[in-house]
Amino acid sequence: MIAVQSSVARLGVALATPLALVIGVYLLFAGHNHPGGGFAAGLVFGCVLALHRLTAIQSNFDPSKVSAVGILIVVVTAALPLFWGDALLDQLVQSVEIPVLGKVKSGTALPFDIGVTLIVLGLVAALLDGLGVRSAPQSGDSK
Amino acid sequence: MIWWILSAHVVGMCAAALLGRVSMHRGLGAAAVAPALTAAWAAQQLFVDAEPTSVGIDWVAELGIGFQFRSGPLALLLTLLVSGIGALIFVYAMGYFASDAAGSVRFPVTLLAFSTSMLGLVLADSIWTLFIFWEFTSITSFLLVGHKNTSAPVQVAARRALAITGAGGLALLAGLLILQGETGTVSLSNLPAVSGTAGAVAAVLIMCAAATKSAQVPFHVWLPGAMAAPTPVSAYLHSATMVKAGVILVALTGPSFADVTAWKTLGMTFGIVSMMWGGFIALRHTDGKLILAWGTISQLGLLITLLSIGTPKAVFAAISILFAHALFKAALFCVVGEIDVRTGTRDVRELGGLRRSMPVAFAVAVAASLSMAGVPPLLGFAAKEAAVEAVLKLDGVEQFMAAVGVFGGSVLTVAYTLRFVLLTFSGSPVIDVRPRRWAMSAPSVILSGLGLILFFWMGVSNSVVIPAAVQLNPASAEFELLRWPGLKTAFFISAAIVATGALIGWLLANRPSRAPDALGADVVDSLLDRILRGAVVVTARIQHGSLPVYLATMAFVAAVAGAILVVDVDFDKLVLWDTPIQGLLAAIILGAVLGGATVRSRLGAALTLGAVGLAMAGLFALQGAPDLALTQLLVETIVIVAFVLGLGHLTREFPAVNRSWHAIRIAVAGAGGLVVVLALAAASASPTGQPPLEDLEREAVAEGGGNNIVNVILTDVRALDTLGEVMVLATVAIGILALANLRSIAGQR
Repeated sequence: MIAVQSSVARLGVALATPLALVIGVYLLFAGHNHPGGGFAAGLVFGCVLALHRLTAIQSNFDPSKVSAVGILIVVVTAALPLFWGDALLDQLVQSVEIPVLGKVKSGTALPFDIGVTLIVLGLVAALLDGLGVRSAPQSGDSK
Repeated sequence: MIWWILSAHVVGMCAAALLGRVSMHRGLGAAAVAPALTAAWAAQQLFVDAEPTSVGIDWVAELGIGFQFRSGPLALLLTLLVSGIGALIFVYAMGYFASDAAGSVRFPVTLLAFSTSMLGLVLADSIWTLFIFWEFTSITSFLLVGHKNTSAPVQVAARRALAITGAGGLALLAGLLILQGETGTVSLSNLPAVSGTAGAVAAVLIMCAAATKSAQVPFHVWLPGAMAAPTPVSAYLHSATMVKAGVILVALTGPSFADVTAWKTLGMTFGIVSMMWGGFIALRHTDGKLILAWGTISQLGLLITLLSIGTPKAVFAAISILFAHALFKAALFCVVGEIDVRTGTRDVRELGGLRRSMPVAFAVAVAASLSMAGVPPLLGFAAKEAAVEAVLKLDGVEQFMAAVGVFGGSVLTVAYTLRFVLLTFSGSPVIDVRPRRWAMSAPSVILSGLGLILFFWMGVSNSVVIPAAVQLNPASAEFELLRWPGLKTAFFISAAIVATGALIGWLLANRPSRAPDALGADVVDSLLDRILRGAVVVTARIQHGSLPVYLATMAFVAAVAGAILVVDVDFDKLVLWDTPIQGLLAAIILGAVLGGATVRSRLGAALTLGAVGLAMAGLFALQGAPDLALTQLLVETIVIVAFVLGLGHLTREFPAVNRSWHAIRIAVAGAGGLVVVLALAAASASPTGQPPLEDLEREAVAEGGGNNIVNVILTDVRALDTLGEVMVLATVAIGILALANLRSIAGQR
């Protein structure tokens, strides 16, 4: 890879990763009330993955599994209301008091958004695989 | 009950698939259960003269699309034939196939799938239900004809059958659409009469569809080829049931077309030509199955002729013959299959003297053949007698044409039947015979025995046939099948037919014969080959594989299509900018675009595209759309990273292109860009009312439980769109992975 030789780049990416993940998770949860959402969160995670691939940091990541879990979550969330007679994709909003955080309001839009995140991440990962980014080190390992 | 029956068939298919893994015979046995139960139900319903029941589910009620079934008298008669013969054929197949035969899962399941499709077809009460099952029978027939799927001639025969019946399916679709448009109803049990040009077009289309399915000249060429199928399939699909689908279609839609001249003319032409030509060719063939197949073409022609004539007596005769034919033709095919299995050949020139070595088969063949020839004391005699009387009741040219067809066709039927029986069973034994298999003998004994029993037990035959004929034409209630019609004109004509036919058959049986060439089949095959070769050429032209040309084509077409928007642009409403910062960002975009268009390095071009995207994100942010800006920013980041990764596979610089292609690309790109500008200007020049912002704000908090309207729209208000979009993303991901896998597989080779 282009940045394989640069340990500065590798270290930088490694250090930035936890921060980027936190931002991604923030965007996912904040999305309902502030800018962000499942799509944006998926893209942030995708960026992290791309940077890892760029600097040849190994991560075990199967795009098809991530996409599959995402599809499952989205479809189940969408179809569940049908079982108690509501419309497809009907929302359920629930407010609960949690000791430290105070009043937290959330709905079934959250799992739906998580599913979207996983699907977007799966797509980015598939794109990276399709570009042949992962193949070089792995085919060496498998011998 | 109809739902239970159809479900039982689906369960049967699963059971056959599971038990077929163990052995062919268990799979066939499992598959036989559902048809046997269904036949018992149909017999019981007919016996107690039950009221017709209707069931159905709507799908698109406004368009009349859905599944509708109805157990009318005709439907019950056909159900009895389809399922009763079906159950017997499954038993017969146990004798035909060795227990460990190849395709032991595929064959029983496909045959039962056909049986189910045919059952759906005969029970259908809506034209669209009929159409769906019609197509199912074409597909399952294709699979069954191509059962020995490793042999090239079999593949060609299966393809020919599918192409012709499939083309007929398209004609049927068009015809039914016109019919629905004209009558405004989809129910088969009360189709109003149609007339006029639209009625005539629908009549021609539906009659042609029926002619492809029922193998009428000149669409018959697939049926002899379909004899490449295993004999149980030929006995079941290509004599008793599937080829009757066209006849059933003509019977059901015929009352609507009573006033359309084209319907009767076309139907009688198909029928009479097929009757004569089929009988004539059957006289010359030497393969037992092909003799019977050409005979089927001839008999189907008789049915189509009678139903096209449409008089009460003709309809009554057609239903009677349909009933009798299903029994005797299936029995004859069973005998030919048994001869094939026990002697190793179906060629009548190599056979002879089988009456001693295969006495049961001989008895069956004689009974079935006499029924087919219309000789008492068999059901075929009473049915044929009704047909002769129907012809005598006509007048003028119609009577003359019908008489030539029905009498001439019947003479030929008697002749080829006698020739077949004489060549196969008479004379001295010339071939060794393997032991009898009861699984093969029993069904054929039952089928041909029924032809005999039902003649003496004529009340049962009448109680089955008359209500079905009355359903199609109420005036046919006055007729009935007779054991002894009396010494009337019809009887003398019948006697003359049998005598003439017997003479011709006896003379021909003593002459050496050579099988005729398959006329027409080659033409269809070469036509199909040419279409396929043409498709290869056209595809190679259109799908040339050059990405730049694809992109240029798409951009050019979009530019041409969007050019019309220029009339919608209102130049008075356009402003230069909302804030000068927009101008600055626009300048950055323009500079980046010009740089991207001229730079030679691929990486440089990718970076200029990134600059365009980032400036666009700035424009979004300025307009108060932080969500859009955030997403744009993230997408740009990912795209640039992906570019950097992907460019590693390519040369650093763009390859040189020639001058004219370069000019075309600039022109197309310029035009595409211009049209996008025009479209946006046109869109902003004609606002359609105010956006419902306040409603959205209120509802977002109250219903969606969030303050970010964009996200509430995505996950709640328009969540179905989002669902669709993420499915597209997931599909793209799967596609990319599949392509990458293909490449790595190709790389390993």
